[in-house]
Amino acid sequence: MGTHGAGFEMGESTPYFLPKLSHMTAPLDSIPAICPELGIEVPVAIIERELHKLWEQDDATTNASLMNLVVYSEKAGALIENSAIIRELTREHACRAILVGIDRHEPEPTLRAWITAHCHLADGRKSVCCEQIAFHLTGRVTGRFRNTVFAHLNSDLPLIFWWQGELSEILTERLVSVIDRLVIDSSSWADPAASFTMIEEASQANPDLIIQDHAWTRSWQFRIGIASLFDDPIAQEALPEIHAVEITYHPAHRNTALQVLAWLAVQAGWKDAVTDAGWAFESSHGKAISLKLSEDASGPPLSSLVIRENRTSVQVTQKAGSSHVERQVETAGYKASSLSPIDPTSPADLVAIQLSRGGKNSLYQKMLPRFRGLLVK
Amino acid sequence: MNPFREDLVSRSRPEPCSIVIFGATGDLTHRKLIPALYNLAVDGELPTGVKIIGFARREKSDAEFRAGLDELNRKVSRSGHDDEIWDSFIQTVSYHTSEFTDPDGYRRLAEKLDAIDAERGGKGNRLFYIASAPEFFDEILIALKNAGLNEAKPGCWARVIVEKPFGTDLATAKHLNQVVNDTFHESDTYRIDHYLGKETAQNLMVLRFANSIFEPLWNSKYISHIQITCAENLGMEGGRGGYYEKSGALRDMVQNHLLQLLSLVAMEPPTDLSADGVRDEKVKVIRSLRQWDTREKVAKNVVRAQYTAGHIDGTAVPGYRQEDRVSPTSETEAYVAVRLLIDTWRWSGVPFYIRMGKRLPKKSTEISVHFKDAPCVLFNALSGGVPGGNVLVIRIQPDEGISLRMVSKIPGTSLRLEPVKMDFHYSTSFGKGSPEAYERLLLDAIAGDATLFARRDEVEEAWKFIDHIERAWHESDSPPVMAEFVAGSWGPKEADELLQQDGNAWRRL
Ligand SMILES: NC(=O)c1ccc[n+]([C@@H]2O[C@H](COP(=O)([O-])OP(=O)(O)OC[C@H]3O[C@@H](n4cnc5c(N)ncnc54)[C@H](OP(=O)(O)O)[C@@H]3O)[C@@H](O)[C@H]2O)c1
Repeated sequence: MGTHGAGFEMGESTPYFLPKLSHMTAPLDSIPAICPELGIEVPVAIIERELHKLWEQDDATTNASLMNLVVYSEKAGALIENSAIIRELTREHACRAILVGIDRHEPEPTLRAWITAHCHLADGRKSVCCEQIAFHLTGRVTGRFRNTVFAHLNSDLPLIFWWQGELSEILTERLVSVIDRLVIDSSSWADPAASFTMIEEASQANPDLIIQDHAWTRSWQFRIGIASLFDDPIAQEALPEIHAVEITYHPAHRNTALQVLAWLAVQAGWKDAVTDAGWAFESSHGKAISLKLSEDASGPPLSSLVIRENRTSVQVTQKAGSSHVERQVETAGYKASSLSPIDPTSPADLVAIQLSRGGKNSLYQKMLPRFRGLLVK
Repeated sequence: MNPFREDLVSRSRPEPCSIVIFGATGDLTHRKLIPALYNLAVDGELPTGVKIIGFARREKSDAEFRAGLDELNRKVSRSGHDDEIWDSFIQTVSYHTSEFTDPDGYRRLAEKLDAIDAERGGKGNRLFYIASAPEFFDEILIALKNAGLNEAKPGCWARVIVEKPFGTDLATAKHLNQVVNDTFHESDTYRIDHYLGKETAQNLMVLRFANSIFEPLWNSKYISHIQITCAENLGMEGGRGGYYEKSGALRDMVQNHLLQLLSLVAMEPPTDLSADGVRDEKVKVIRSLRQWDTREKVAKNVVRAQYTAGHIDGTAVPGYRQEDRVSPTSETEAYVAVRLLIDTWRWSGVPFYIRMGKRLPKKSTEISVHFKDAPCVLFNALSGGVPGGNVLVIRIQPDEGISLRMVSKIPGTSLRLEPVKMDFHYSTSFGKGSPEAYERLLLDAIAGDATLFARRDEVEEAWKFIDHIERAWHESDSPPVMAEFVAGSWGPKEADELLQQDGNAWRRL
């Protein structure tokens, strides 16, 4: 890929023409004013004007945006990492990206901003670019942060808010009320039960809020695999007589395993039951269903999900290091299997997949109470 | 009921089945059908347990058949070629040698299918895909019936997909429909029109009925006229002339694809999104077409043409009659433009113009909706007047998307108006490419969703309209003239005049 047009470089985050810049500010800390990944530092008050100049320079580019994507992190160094993620994401998801890096422990309140554009060739000819604004805030930030972000949203486009890491008190009702989609990764939380209480409060504050949890997205191929296998009349017939569910998961992804379990129980109408051997389910007509959860620290987040009936078994498996999951249905004298792709693991790919699926994620909401019940068992 | 499907994906349930493809050594199977099935597998959409059997005349082993499919899939597959998924997928594919007319071949096929079903406890679904030349459609259907393969086992289904062309006129279409309906239930019959599998065609209904701003304007009060253009820059390369000579632009493209698009644009909102809900409304449009049933009406409302030698992209190209496998005295149209009127309350007085041509300057299919001019009392006195009105363009290919033309003031102290365009490109906004039409259509047939397939009455009504025109061209004593245009131009002047009579002009693409 070569350079195209005046101020943009393909496949790169590109600070626009230096000479056009006005009001450059001096660096306050470790991020330089001209940073290859974040672009060029600009005074916060003139961000929109400076962004506008980006487009004036070059007729050959298209500014595309289907959403506002805010990426929020309290981790040091996250701004630069996230900018690299946005560069990848914008290949398929045109957005106005607003990156927010926060250091609440710094005593001095500061606010710095950088702008850039991520450009990609569409169909090998047209250059399609997405704007990015990166903010770095220090000190007590709650109100400042919210106002800063709100002031730079593209009007009328949905707001996707990707919250990285532990939730904090910055996730206020005021903030939640303007978010359309909140992206989280519950496997990164030290105390999921407590954090899900905050999520519940957020959902109450904004009933239209759509929650997208990486932990849930990581099980997509397993869930779609099970659903597809149960389209087969052979598996359907086995449904009422299921007596065992076995899940093997990576210890860091227990939430994913429990969410899948909650989903199965909610969809199939299984009640919770307690047996001598620990927890179990009971089908709607009283059949006991045993549960076996095993850890495998060398495997992917989920490495197998097996549902057993006396004659028939239905399973989805993913071997360590494999780039496919295998679906299999087996009954007396018959076995059929097929391969499908694995779920992505990188945060960028998980978000990309969540964005491309869209929808209300209502199944997640439906499974959530049951899952929270399992969390505290 | 599959409880695990609920909310996960909103489509009917695709069960495992055996897919038999008739004409499996042919071009369509290699270029479209197998790559489509493979890509469904890549997306995890092909049900586990599907078996694919290729049926054709040539002696071939399974291994030879698979090797040929492998070679082409590597070249044409949308998502590339993943060896591991391909190896697992291709294990489900086998080859069956037989003449289309050989009863023994069907008996052996039935045994093969029964053996597959036996593994599954004697139950199995079957999907027959007739991808042969049309002259074999009857024979294959009758042979399937004689072998009892048209009957589904209890609790299972047997369906048939029929490729285009579906008849060459009303009589042959009716006959073929009769043979099909004698063999399979209409609800198990899937007549392919791959235009309906395209993303933008499906988006037409969403655009119209999920956006509240268009539907109130979608009628004769606000719309001046609608144009549907299908332009191709190719001619008769690769021996296509032989087929084209027998069909022509009207039968090859207008009868099916373009009238299908027309019905999607013009239909009333369906009561629901069921296959019959949608198709009931579509067929009403075709049924309401004013019939051009005399030579005079055809002469006034339809233009046919052939191209003469010219240039496309700077390369010299021959005239239609000089093309390979085309008769030097050919009377087959390589271009057609039709003015249509739909006699309904909504469309009273709104002309629809359809044009389709080979060797036009570029490849492009689009629908353009031309709105009436605003009452411009305010701006009439301006120098330069008011530029043309609003146009909504729905691009089907190659660059799928939607654009809207509006009038705007040129910035400055004087009041001057210029048209501006709001443009939406699928590829720019959504990045990744849409699935191939055949992927969607095959999956729908496996899942039993016939919404995107043509129903018997739609096909017959469309032929009824087309037949009048064909008859005026080929059976009248003084047929309307065959117009000419230079290859690489936008069609004959007669087609321009067709619109001029209403005070309209073709959109410049
Ligand atoms: N090609 C496309 O892209 C395309 C697109 C849209 C629609 N279509 C439609 O699809 C259909 C098939 O097109 P195609 O291009 O694939 O045709 P094709 O390449 O000519 O293939 C014809 C197939 O029919 C088989 N066949 C012919 N006579 C036979 C007989 N007596 N017994 C058994 N098998 C016989 C051939 O088998 P052998 O090789 O063993 O002789 C071959 O597999 C046509 O209706 C066409 O209009 C094609």
